[in-house]
Amino acid sequence: METTNTEQPVAKAVSPRFQELTFTAKRLFKNPLSTIGLAIIAFFLIIAIFAPVICPPKYADPFKIPHSGWKIEPQPPNAQHLLGTTQQQYDMLYGMVWGTRGAFKIGLIVVGANLIIGILLGAIAGYFGGIVDEVIMRVTDVFYAIPFLVMAMALVVAIGRGLTAVIIVLIILEWPSYTRVLRSDILVIRNKEYIMAARASGSSHFAIILRHVLPNAMYSVLILASLNIGTTILTAAALSFLGLGSETGTADWGQIVSMCRNWIIGAPGNRFAYWYTVFIPGFVITLFVLGWNLLGDAVRDVFDPKLRRK
Amino acid sequence: MSAQHLVETRELATNFYTFEGVVRALNNVSLVVDQGETYGIVGESGCGKSVTVRSMMRIVQAPGRIDGGKIVMFLNAEDKAKGIEILGRTEAYMASIRGKDISMIFQEPGAALNPVLSVHQQIAESYEFHRMDEMLEKSIATLEAHAKELGGGPAGWWNGLRKSLLRRELGAHKNYSARIQTIDNELYKLEDSTDAASLGRKRELNHERDKPVRRDFLVEFARRVPFFARYRRPLNRTVEAQVIDLLRSLGIPNPENIAQRYPHELSGGMQQRIVIAIALACHPTLLIADEPTSNLDVTIQAQIVDLIRDLKKTAISSVVFITHDLGLVAEMCDRVTVMYAGDVAETATVKELFRNPLHPYAQGLLDAVPKEIQEGELTIIPGAVPNLIRPPSGCRFHPRCSHKMAICEKEKPPTLELGPGHFVACHLYTKDQSK
Amino acid sequence: MNLYSFIVRRLLFMILVLVGVSLLVFTVMMILPPGQRLAAYVTSEKVTPEQMDALIAKYGLNDPAPVQYIRWLGNVLRGEFGYSVTASAPVITAFGLYFPTTLELVLYATPLIILVGVALGTLGAVRKDSVADHATRVFAIVGYSLPTFWLGLLLLMIFYGFLGIFPPGTLSNSASDVVMSSHFHHYTRLITIDAILNWRWDVFLDALYHMFLPALNLVIINSAMIMRLMRSSMLESLGQDYMMTARAKGADEKTLYKRHARRNALLPVITVSGLTLAGLMGGMVITETIFDRTGIGWWMARAATQLDVAAIMFNVLFLGTIYVMINLIVDVIYAYVDPRVRLS
Repeated sequence: METTNTEQPVAKAVSPRFQELTFTAKRLFKNPLSTIGLAIIAFFLIIAIFAPVICPPKYADPFKIPHSGWKIEPQPPNAQHLLGTTQQQYDMLYGMVWGTRGAFKIGLIVVGANLIIGILLGAIAGYFGGIVDEVIMRVTDVFYAIPFLVMAMALVVAIGRGLTAVIIVLIILEWPSYTRVLRSDILVIRNKEYIMAARASGSSHFAIILRHVLPNAMYSVLILASLNIGTTILTAAALSFLGLGSETGTADWGQIVSMCRNWIIGAPGNRFAYWYTVFIPGFVITLFVLGWNLLGDAVRDVFDPKLRRK
Repeated sequence: MSAQHLVETRELATNFYTFEGVVRALNNVSLVVDQGETYGIVGESGCGKSVTVRSMMRIVQAPGRIDGGKIVMFLNAEDKAKGIEILGRTEAYMASIRGKDISMIFQEPGAALNPVLSVHQQIAESYEFHRMDEMLEKSIATLEAHAKELGGGPAGWWNGLRKSLLRRELGAHKNYSARIQTIDNELYKLEDSTDAASLGRKRELNHERDKPVRRDFLVEFARRVPFFARYRRPLNRTVEAQVIDLLRSLGIPNPENIAQRYPHELSGGMQQRIVIAIALACHPTLLIADEPTSNLDVTIQAQIVDLIRDLKKTAISSVVFITHDLGLVAEMCDRVTVMYAGDVAETATVKELFRNPLHPYAQGLLDAVPKEIQEGELTIIPGAVPNLIRPPSGCRFHPRCSHKMAICEKEKPPTLELGPGHFVACHLYTKDQSK
Repeated sequence: MNLYSFIVRRLLFMILVLVGVSLLVFTVMMILPPGQRLAAYVTSEKVTPEQMDALIAKYGLNDPAPVQYIRWLGNVLRGEFGYSVTASAPVITAFGLYFPTTLELVLYATPLIILVGVALGTLGAVRKDSVADHATRVFAIVGYSLPTFWLGLLLLMIFYGFLGIFPPGTLSNSASDVVMSSHFHHYTRLITIDAILNWRWDVFLDALYHMFLPALNLVIINSAMIMRLMRSSMLESLGQDYMMTARAKGADEKTLYKRHARRNALLPVITVSGLTLAGLMGGMVITETIFDRTGIGWWMARAATQLDVAAIMFNVLFLGTIYVMINLIVDVIYAYVDPRVRLS
């Protein structure tokens, strides 16, 4: 009796999934914030891809920043160093450009690995339920119970410092959120009629998960992933800042910010003498994270069924 | 029928500004509800019934907006014969008539009640908004009756303090009511004037009308200080008694217990009774029931319908009843309007409509209802209510109409009175007239 | 179900999680070689290489893991956490020294964070799409994109470096002398409260003066999350049917927003506020390092760079326990405020 559907029956020729996708894309590009976010990420992506062209590496390891001399005071931007130098004359521009590569590396590796682990465990927990579910969920509870940064510090200390350690630690610590989100989505989907139908028609568990459950549960995990790249970069930078990441002289944003700590006071007579060395690296991190957050926000608004039609 | 009008909408247009576009939910809806009648509005879901009545009360939720037309209320018909156009009035004016003169009950009682407030709190609000003077007077009277027993001493002193605080509150309220009354009276006089001077005066008055109750400093202070705040206890008790009386009068068993409960602890039928109690607390002139039974079990449905019918006899003078159940319309209503996609298709007395439906949509609706004596299949109207972002041109029903003519796509049909009190908007009959 | 049995159930759950947390911490510790883990057991200062092997044997650091876990857990429950190299003191003594500084900042910053977040979020929702709404939204998204350490450095550069106000540290030298002197009684070890109890308003103001920038830093970063949540949750409750019921019975705007919408909208905010409070404790690592406040975060940061295993493991365990306990409290408050929770 109730016909709440107000869609016009005309558009039947196009598949509903495709229709939703075009709607989503349209909506995404109509939002100025997401466009800005996309532009920021595209900008950084270009820099990361063309890093060897913009700043040709001097050493075998391109992440080692070239530096001219050991003079302590940072230098303001000049013809030789377009963004100036940090203390001990590391070239800021080089650090920022190659740091972009580093940031993408960390963000994509960590989030990618987490997507795999989270989806695997979440799918198992949500689909099978019972004791498997109980065990996996209690483990995520434990991970949730410890402040993220503190646990990351302890782990980095245990397995030894360095960028690789930071990446491993972030993978170990972030999977529970993906697992939880995916599991709760699957719990809802599991009881839908089409799963029952698939099960009744004799499809294997694996086939059902792959073909019916995951495609429908993926959205919220993907939203989480896009929002998480920002926080991942922030945590990695924080660990570097605390001296647990890469060594001095590495093109790593957090590391470069930590080098500027001594220069917030300025010089006698010119209190803002070294502002650039404080400002530039932090600003670059913020911009990068902002880009991902803007995009993630927009993606969430667009995919969230409660928000999308508003 | 020369009954006195109660509410009249003229060319009412309400739109919803969604992301996909503007939903033209009401396409110039005009209808009249008379005093003392039960007025039905029927139609499929999504054809604008709820939006119409929500517009009448001006409680359309974002992103909806009333963009055109007039709503005229004749609430106290003796002295307000020309009615009040409420779209020109302020939000404060609306707040003062909502719940007091017009009330509404909703489709989903579970969602219509606030989950974090107890039943008592939610009903008591109605008294707090509209019957404060009366409640305060009653409380003061109780305290006075008590005063003789208490005599002097600290108990008597405390009693006196309470009384004087409540009196101050009452004074502030009375002042406010008196001020509002003068403003409303003057606004009413200016209702039809459109010259610059009176428009300016109206704006001034409306602005004045929006100012809240001027609070008494001492009272405000006492209300905020933990111990002194107890001076209001007699008032709370008065309101509580009122709430319980109301619940009892609606046939709710064990009202003292129910009043302390939270909505989620109650059954759907009980929730709907609470919603009705909220609506009836201040004895409104008009009750709008927006599909009050469609989400309830069949047995509960019958109980709620009976309750509304009884209330129509005893407590409220007029009811607007929205439903998609034609059986209920036949049972409950005096007159009925059939709506389709934001248009009024046909209005007639219930008997007339059932005997002689003129609009093809109304005919279709009636054919789709199983009847006692009928042979063969039930017919259905093909298609569904259209998307109102891009509504069909001309008569909005034409894509589904079996009598479609060329003109239907081009022009919106005018509303014609084909019999006494029988209005139809369909080109089938425009042609007849022009002959 | 009544509130009481709800609490009991949550308590049992909390103990389970705490056991999990201790297992996790222990596992992390087991990654380290016995020589480094030793610090979490010993109670005295220097361990010479000759003593080391004897001590490893004494504390059984080469035993099977379950045996070691039980022994370690026993130590933890007795309050023996080993010796902190960075603090040059037993961990528990060092904790007593550092914790009040952290707690004090948290106690001042948390209400501010919640207040700012709720107020701005409500404003944004009530005046949706207005200039104020857009401004607060931009503030929020920038707020949670900012690295805490960089914002802290910027604030220091502007206020301390350029304007010469709000210096880093916990107290100025003169105030610190007062606090260290023998007639200053340490009732609570929270400087601001002790200062008032000792009737030293100069010390009180000095402590607040030093707390301003770190608190500002925390408020900017952390209120963003609460603000966003409050805005969306307020918008959601404004769109609910019960808001229409409330309007239909004649509620004025103030009652609508305050009594009907905000109460419901605050429910999810309670949870997130609890998490923020717990997260603040962890986030202190950076804020305290930058503003040079000698709290447990500052201690933790130094311990991490100097491989002070005992201090790190203790802090992880402690912060985990705090986190779990705050969550429990939040759940209880939630159950108290939202009558629906008690039922499920």
